[in-house]
Amino acid sequence: MQALLSFDKSPPLSAPLRFFLTAPVFAMLAGILLLVDGPEVLASRWSPLTLAATHLFTLGFMLQVMLGALIQVLPVVAGANLAHPARIASGVHATLTLGTLVLVWAFLFPAPGLLHLAATLLGLAILVFLLTAGRAVFAVPTTSPTIRGLKLAFAGLAMTAGLGVLLALALGSGWSLSLLDWVDLHATWGLGGWSAVLLMTLAYVVVPMFQLTPAYRVRASVWMPVSLALSAAVWTLAVLAQLPWLSGLAAWVMALAGLAFAGMTLVLQRQRRRARPDATLAYWQVACMASAVGLVLWRLSGFALVEDWSPLPLLIGVLIMMGGYGGFITGMLYKIVPFLGWLHLQNLAGPGKPVPAMNKLLSEAAMRGQQRLFFAAFALLTAACVWPEWLARPAGLAFLLAHAALLVNLLKAVRAYRACRASLGQAA
Amino acid sequence: MSLRDLLTENHRHCDDLFAEAEMAAGKGRVDTALAAFSGFAEATLAHFSAEELTLFPAFEAQTGMTMGPTQVMRMEHEQMRSLIQDAVDALKQGNTEDFLGISETLLIMMQQHNMKEENVLYPMCDQHLSAEVSSLLARIGSALHQA
Repeated sequence: MQALLSFDKSPPLSAPLRFFLTAPVFAMLAGILLLVDGPEVLASRWSPLTLAATHLFTLGFMLQVMLGALIQVLPVVAGANLAHPARIASGVHATLTLGTLVLVWAFLFPAPGLLHLAATLLGLAILVFLLTAGRAVFAVPTTSPTIRGLKLAFAGLAMTAGLGVLLALALGSGWSLSLLDWVDLHATWGLGGWSAVLLMTLAYVVVPMFQLTPAYRVRASVWMPVSLALSAAVWTLAVLAQLPWLSGLAAWVMALAGLAFAGMTLVLQRQRRRARPDATLAYWQVACMASAVGLVLWRLSGFALVEDWSPLPLLIGVLIMMGGYGGFITGMLYKIVPFLGWLHLQNLAGPGKPVPAMNKLLSEAAMRGQQRLFFAAFALLTAACVWPEWLARPAGLAFLLAHAALLVNLLKAVRAYRACRASLGQAA
Repeated sequence: MSLRDLLTENHRHCDDLFAEAEMAAGKGRVDTALAAFSGFAEATLAHFSAEELTLFPAFEAQTGMTMGPTQVMRMEHEQMRSLIQDAVDALKQGNTEDFLGISETLLIMMQQHNMKEENVLYPMCDQHLSAEVSSLLARIGSALHQA
C-alpha cells in the first residue's frame, strides 16, 4: 500500500517511450510495403503480403503503443504497480519488436522454422507482459469498471496471442486446421476481445479527463466491454462446436457493443466543456465514425447483395484498424507523450521551478499538420481498397509520410524534453 | 456521505470553474477569463488546504504513514500551485495562448491527481478514519464552503 501512490515505482520515461517511438517505424514499414508491392497487398485478405502489412500495423503499431501505455498507466488508473517496470519494458519491447520482424519476414519470404521462431518470440513477449502487468492487475480488487475492463482485456490479449501462436505453428508445420475459422477467431479476439475492451476501458478514464465531458453512463460502461468479451468467448465455442449460427449471433452482439461505444463517445464529446477542439478530439471523432462504418459494413457483409463484392473484407479492415484504432491511438499519443515529458521535467526540477508546458514540448500546429497527412492517407487507403490498381501505391506513400510525420513529431517532443532536462542539470 | 463523496463532488465543482475560465480565454476575453480563473484558483487552493491541514494529518496519525500517499499528494499540490500561478501570470499579461498551454497541462495534471485520490486515497481514508468521519466531514465541509 505504501508505494501505491508514490513515484518510486513509476517507470522512467524511457520505458513507455521506446514503445511509442518504435510504433511509427512499423507503420512506416507497412506504408513501404504498400508502396513497393502496390495492388498485390490489397488483392485479398489472405495473401501473404496482406498478412505482413496487417501484422506490421497490429503488432508493430497498435500492440507496441498499447503495451507501452499500459506499463505507464496501470499504477495511475488501477493502482497496479509492476515490480520492475524498466526491466520489463526493455525485455518485452525487444522481444516484441524482433518477433514482429521475424513474423513479417516469414510471411514475405517463407523458410522452414521462421514461423516457429516468430511464434516463440511473440508468445514469449506477451507471456512476460501478462505474467507481470497482468498479475499486478489481477492482484487489485475489482472496484471500478476500469479495473474490470483491464482484467477482461488481459484475458483477451492472452486468447489473441494463444490463437496467433497456434496459427503460426499450424501454418509452419502444415497441420490440418480449418484456417478460415481460426483466423477469424484470432482477429475477433485481437480487435474485439482485446483491443476494443482495452479502448473502452481507457476511454472511460481519458475522454472525460482530456475533454471535460460528462462521464460514460455507469451501466453502459459495464455492459459494453463485458458483452464484447462474452461474445468473443461464445464465438470460440461456436468454432469448436462448428455452429456457424452461433458465431453469427456473437458477431452481432459485438458489432452492437462497438456501435454503442462509438455513438456514446461522439455524443459525450459534443457535450465537452473545453475551449477549443484539438488534434486529439478530431482524431477520436474520425476514429469513432470510421469504426462505426466499418462495423456496419462488417455486419452487412453476410447479406447476398454485398457478399460477393471483393473489396469488402479489406475495406472493413482499413476502416476499423487504420481509421479506428490508428486514430484513437495517435490521438492518445498526442496527450500522453507531451504530458509525460512535462511530468518528468517537473519532477526533476522540483516544485516552483518553471518548466515548459505541454504545448511547448509539442505544438498544436505540428500535430494538426501530421493529422492532415493521416486523414489524407486514410481516405486514399479506403479508396484504394476499391481501386487498388490506381491508388494502392499513392496510398502507401501517404501512409508512409503520415507515420514519418508522427515519428518526427514524437522526436520533436523528446528533443525539447532533453534540451530542457540538460538546462535543468546545468542549473542544479 | 463519505469523505470520498464530499471531496469528489468538490473536484467536479473545481472542474466546472476551470472549464468556465478556459472557455472565456478561448474566446479571447481576458478579463472574464481572469475573473473565472481566480474563482477556480480560490476553490482549488481551499481544497488543497482542507486536505493538507485536516484530512492528511488525520490519515497520517491513524495509519502512521507519513511518507506514503499523502506525501505524494502534497507534492502534486505544490506542482499544481505553481501551474496555477503561471496561468494567472499569463492571463495578467494578456497572453491567452500561453494561458491555454499552461491550463491544458494543469488540467491533465489535476485529472490524474484527482483520479488517484478518488480511486485510492479517499477510499483508504474512509476505511481507516471511519470513527471520525462525521467530524472530519464537518470540518472539511466548512473549510470548502468558506472558499
